[in-house]
Amino acid sequence: MFYSEDKKQYSVLNRRTFLLYLLKVSFFGIVGWRLYDIQIKDSQKYKTLSKNNQIDIEIIYPIRGKIYDTNNKVLASNIKVFDVYIIPENTENINKTLNELNQIININFSDRRKILELSKKVKKFQKIKVLENINWSQLEKIESNKLNIEGIFISQDYMRTYQFDNTVSHLIGYTNKPNREEVELPFISNMPNLEIGKDGIEKSFNPNLIGKSGQREIEVNSYGRVIREISRQDSQKGNDIQVTIDLRIQEYALNLLKEHKAGSVVLMDINNGNILCMASTPSYNPNKIIKKPNKEYWNSILENELSPLTYRSIQGLYAPGSTFKMVVAIAGIIHGIIDTNTKHFCSGKIGLGDRLYHCWKNNGHGSMNVSDAIKESCDVFFYEISKKIGIDKISKVAEDFGLGKIYDIPLPNQKKGIIPSREWKKKKYDESWYPGETLISAIGQGFVLTNPLQLAVMTSIIASNGKNVKPNIIKKNNDIEFNKLEKYQNAIKIIKSSMFKVVNESKGTAYNSRSTSAPFAGKTGTSQVRRITVAERESEDFRKKEVEWKKRDHALFVGYMPVENPKYAVSVVIEHGGSGASTAAPIAKEIFQFTKNLEI
Amino acid sequence: MLNKIQNLNYLLIFLVILISFIGAAGLYSAAGGSYSPWASRHLIRLLVFIFLAIALALINIKYIYQFAYIFFVLSLLLLLSVELIGVFGKGATRWINLFGFSIQPSELIKITIILALARFYHDLKFDEIKRIKNLFFPILILFLPFALVVIQPDLGTALSIAMLGILILFASGIRIWKFVLGFFVLILSIPLSLNSLQPYQKDRIFSFLNPEADALGRGYQLIQSKIALGSGGLTGKGFLEGSQAYLQYLPEKQTDFIFTLIGEEFGFIGTMFIILLFLLLISVCFYVSIKSNHIFGRILSIGVGSNLFIYVIMNISMVSGLMPVVGIPLPLVSYGGSAMLAIIISIGLVLNAELNGSLKKLHNA
Repeated sequence: MFYSEDKKQYSVLNRRTFLLYLLKVSFFGIVGWRLYDIQIKDSQKYKTLSKNNQIDIEIIYPIRGKIYDTNNKVLASNIKVFDVYIIPENTENINKTLNELNQIININFSDRRKILELSKKVKKFQKIKVLENINWSQLEKIESNKLNIEGIFISQDYMRTYQFDNTVSHLIGYTNKPNREEVELPFISNMPNLEIGKDGIEKSFNPNLIGKSGQREIEVNSYGRVIREISRQDSQKGNDIQVTIDLRIQEYALNLLKEHKAGSVVLMDINNGNILCMASTPSYNPNKIIKKPNKEYWNSILENELSPLTYRSIQGLYAPGSTFKMVVAIAGIIHGIIDTNTKHFCSGKIGLGDRLYHCWKNNGHGSMNVSDAIKESCDVFFYEISKKIGIDKISKVAEDFGLGKIYDIPLPNQKKGIIPSREWKKKKYDESWYPGETLISAIGQGFVLTNPLQLAVMTSIIASNGKNVKPNIIKKNNDIEFNKLEKYQNAIKIIKSSMFKVVNESKGTAYNSRSTSAPFAGKTGTSQVRRITVAERESEDFRKKEVEWKKRDHALFVGYMPVENPKYAVSVVIEHGGSGASTAAPIAKEIFQFTKNLEI
Repeated sequence: MLNKIQNLNYLLIFLVILISFIGAAGLYSAAGGSYSPWASRHLIRLLVFIFLAIALALINIKYIYQFAYIFFVLSLLLLLSVELIGVFGKGATRWINLFGFSIQPSELIKITIILALARFYHDLKFDEIKRIKNLFFPILILFLPFALVVIQPDLGTALSIAMLGILILFASGIRIWKFVLGFFVLILSIPLSLNSLQPYQKDRIFSFLNPEADALGRGYQLIQSKIALGSGGLTGKGFLEGSQAYLQYLPEKQTDFIFTLIGEEFGFIGTMFIILLFLLLISVCFYVSIKSNHIFGRILSIGVGSNLFIYVIMNISMVSGLMPVVGIPLPLVSYGGSAMLAIIISIGLVLNAELNGSLKKLHNA
């Protein structure tokens, strides 16, 4: 009997078959329900995930704005540089490609190892940077050998460049990668690799110069390979900035400063406050900071004890010395303590309490009125009148003439300096003011500290007959009118005629620097950097002796030109330059003559 | 002969062709809108295998019955030779080269298991089924291929062989309590078998338990396939518009994950349509089984239907995250010759069983 006729077996089989079928249908139901969950219920979530899968955003960096001088000379711009990459999938042998490249541009051993290591980690189509910022001639060599060098890719980038190296470096500053805190700045936003201004105009105008980033939406596959560009929004170039500096004068001033280790020349246009020249030495070359590797250069800057990074014109603080005497004289005149006839006798020193206060001229100047005292820079005259004026009145006038202030100009880290008063001393040292300190302050020594720009502003206010001149560094199209400080009119007239005599009359301290082509007026200053001992003072001609550079006096000169209707005001400070008359005044003369010849 | 051709179950043939065409469309899309390399070969295979299946359908069922054990032994030897090649040759493999074709014996063996079990229960008197000693042979038929596939290691196929065996034994009328007992034995053996799993298989199980934990590693396939399915929504992104596959986010998009590509491009409507087609295909197999007048035909048809069911459920569960990714293709849709050959031949057997369903005498040789 081969085939079963057992009905019972068939009914069992039918029942089992039915159960099995039911099981299968229910399983189909389960996967159907699962698919409903994924495809209908959670569909939105997966649609978003799907989109995120595909779309990457690539930032397009903007081109940084240029910086021009007042005559549209480019001071800072961007040059095209080239980066060389290797794409592993396009070369059979990375080592061979590196060897070929190495024959054109040296790739050092450690870089090479890093590249080889990286090439094992990244995906085959990902670019690996081999050389950064190569220039045109190197690029040409690579291009002409491109057939031998497999798998390289050259991309174009921009590098900041400064056309005049050291000339305006302090003012313009330089760019570099942002540090950790700077990355948070709002204008950097989504551009972590952006080079930003780190000093000077570059820093102050970061938001303007940077421009706006663009972006590229790209479709990428699961390996990150770019499939196509979906949309593109180009970046917007940053705004250009034009400064008031006249590069010609700036270069000229730096040339004059070359003879000295450190110093500053500031030249201002009195009528609008424009700073035409603000040179400071020593300076640095921003191009050498930007060009990597810069470690060696950085270290040389940081180790230089003259600190080339310091912008002496606004960050260097110096006792103004005799250039402060105008302020004291004006305070005396407006408070009725002196007039043109008031005379004091200079015997070379006066005593106050148990101390002696010396005039720079050991033998004394004899009888002096205010005009003579300024012209010959008699210290005793100012000792005498300061006793009567008092420090608080002097400091009030000094502030009116722009000293002890930080100006509203877009340059970082201005140093305020000190214009002392009773209140200031109480606050600072919790000590009361000593009368002798008034005397020392009256000749711009002691606590008094100013920066060269402040001295130039002071001189501008005097030269403009008391206009409240404010310095300006960014070129503006509209003219600016400064209001006049009426109460100083009369006093300024007297002071200006005295300043004329300083340069243009014999016995004037700057008479040797007088100019026939560009007559000017001014005031010398020589500020001590240390106390002069009695023994030194008694030794003959101690000022002419060769003293160690660091111990020499600072040389200062402030002045304006032309004498009638002045247009320019200058301040010259030469660190440890000896005396204002011998070192600073000649530089002022050169600057005035050069500027006049430019016929701006 | 002509009579037989007229009486072929054309619904079954139509369903096979329709599902295969959908597969070809998916493969065309997976290749980025190109017949090469997959769609064209898929269609050629369909054509060849369909004729093979019809030829098989026309053979007298008694020859198939006679050769059932021999087929099984032959395919077991093929499977064994894959093992031996793996041991003595080029390392672990699932493929063997036969007459110039690369064949995966683990796919073919499922069909010969069905044949062998069908014959065994056909030969066994109903009263004998109850006896424990008569469990020995069917379990041997299942265990030998199961063990060979496990050590390949091919977890998915091994699992599907085990499930196939259970379903067929259930259908043949084995007492329910034996299944319950077997179930407990299985549960108790889980810790043991976990220890003997290959590391990558453990990875697959763990990634199934928490795919998001390792989105770029083990869980990657699963997350991406769910994204593909889910982003398809109700109606899909449209033919050739599926970005997941096009952008290569989908792994193995032409084989095990083809269903997700179809789900992305044709949406819930598309996936439901395929599921219903498969349900219909399986239903036809069951219909043939019920109609058959001999146990051989019955078990054969139920076995083929169950085999299809296991493929479909495992594949869809896998890509939709209901079970670990174990590497099971979607029948007739996924690219791959061996599985397609096995499936279409098994359909040929069902066609044959229907044509010979009312045969009164089936002689033992």
